[in-house]
Amino acid sequence: MNTNLMNKSIGPRVCDIMVCAMARLLQDEDRVFHGVSSQMPMVAMALARHIHAPNLVHLNIPGGVNPASIKKPSYSSAGSELLATGEAYFPLEYVFDLSMRGGLDVAFLGGVQFDVAGNVNASVIGDYHKPKVRLPGGAGSAVLIPTAKRAIIWRTKHDKRTFVEKVDFVTTRGNLWKIVTNLCVFEFKNGSLYLDSIHPTSSLEEVAANTGFQLRYDEIRYTPLPTEREISMLRQIDPFDYRAKEM
Amino acid sequence: MSSKIMSLEEAAGLVRDGDRISFGGNVLHRAPMAMVREIARQRRRNLRIIKTAGAHDIDLLCAAGSVASVDAGFVSYETEFGLAMHYRKAVEGGQVIGNEHACYTVICSLRAAASGAPFMPVAGLKAGDLLQVADYFRVIQDPFGGEPVTVVKAIVPDIAVVHVQEADDLGNAVIHGPKFEDALISRAASKVIVTAEKIVPRSKIRMRPDQVDIPGFLVSAVVHAPRGAAPCSVEKAYDADTKAIERFKKLKAEEIDIYLNEYEMKDRGFKVGGLR
Repeated sequence: MNTNLMNKSIGPRVCDIMVCAMARLLQDEDRVFHGVSSQMPMVAMALARHIHAPNLVHLNIPGGVNPASIKKPSYSSAGSELLATGEAYFPLEYVFDLSMRGGLDVAFLGGVQFDVAGNVNASVIGDYHKPKVRLPGGAGSAVLIPTAKRAIIWRTKHDKRTFVEKVDFVTTRGNLWKIVTNLCVFEFKNGSLYLDSIHPTSSLEEVAANTGFQLRYDEIRYTPLPTEREISMLRQIDPFDYRAKEM
Repeated sequence: MSSKIMSLEEAAGLVRDGDRISFGGNVLHRAPMAMVREIARQRRRNLRIIKTAGAHDIDLLCAAGSVASVDAGFVSYETEFGLAMHYRKAVEGGQVIGNEHACYTVICSLRAAASGAPFMPVAGLKAGDLLQVADYFRVIQDPFGGEPVTVVKAIVPDIAVVHVQEADDLGNAVIHGPKFEDALISRAASKVIVTAEKIVPRSKIRMRPDQVDIPGFLVSAVVHAPRGAAPCSVEKAYDADTKAIERFKKLKAEEIDIYLNEYEMKDRGFKVGGLR
């Protein structure tokens, strides 16, 4: 644990660290898509647009290109406000088409189980035809992870049931780039997940204790803390704290 | 041309046991819930549901025992509401077959249906166990280029049910805000039922025919259904009713009839012509 941080009276919140880490993965002019139940990516995209990626293109399920504000869709990241405050209408089926032809830079996706080989399971635990647990489903991930240039997965629960040696079912695999969790960031490279950075609110021991496979890493790095500018921008663009909803 | 307006009960009568049925909207937005509840009240059985991303609609019909299979990319409520537990239990218990799709493969199977093709190539579906376990996907050789390409089988819904803000009595329907896959399912299905917040005069539609999302000639029935998506949301009319959804989620399957009865007057309370 980073001792400097422990001494601070008010430490950084994990949700802020996660959102800032996600925002920094986005580049100017990237075309970026998020699906349903995606408050954190939605806030990260808005943050990136306000800080370092003003020409980022925000795409979403209701089809609103570059919504001016994300303050309203309180219960939903598929709400009509995303279109009502947008600059154009580009519905979901065309977002998929765009990705198929190589035109989508980043897709934010979910998932329930991940393994060291970068496989993603969002479908079932147990047998596909007689599942022990039926999960919500991969939504777009089976077609977006192989086709988007970079796929980012975020997950607010990091435990041994989530990060496993081998997933029960491979909903998809492929162009996975980063997995941002409440403890760390993984990078997928050379065919396996590598520990990219540990959040300063966590530790190598905690990540290891909550990961079901042997951790691989080149060096120990810590996720940069949110800057004051990022935090103050977050308060402006996300005053209702949607980024904390999943925690 | 004669009016296609009918009561919710009559329109639900167009749905047969075993039908493939596709609902408009997306997760908690513009789902045709009044019709979904009426189908449950009329005890339809063995329905095969098709939707990119469903939530309350699929969950309710699973709770009512009306469902044989679900073809969908995603079935869940959104972050704050948690999972669709009735759907989940029905699949885990073997009563319902959960056919896992990507949302895009649902779109492609409907595009195949809409264009009369037996299947549709899906450029991005290249990896994963679905290619092995799901009988609606095949990997074939591209007859032009020779590379492998995944194709998805066409799904022709017997019925599409779409809830819109405005329709005239012929079924010309206008959707405000996000349209999701509603126009596509209306092109893919054999029959279309439109439920509408408001029935407007034909003359109003004729002022802006370019705004019609579903032309009346594709529509079999028009139902006046104010608050017909509640407790889901309708753009510019009402938000999702979080309390009602929370309450539904806590119900046991045997309590579903009580829930359906509570909505019965609201759902059926409007007579032909849109007048009380």
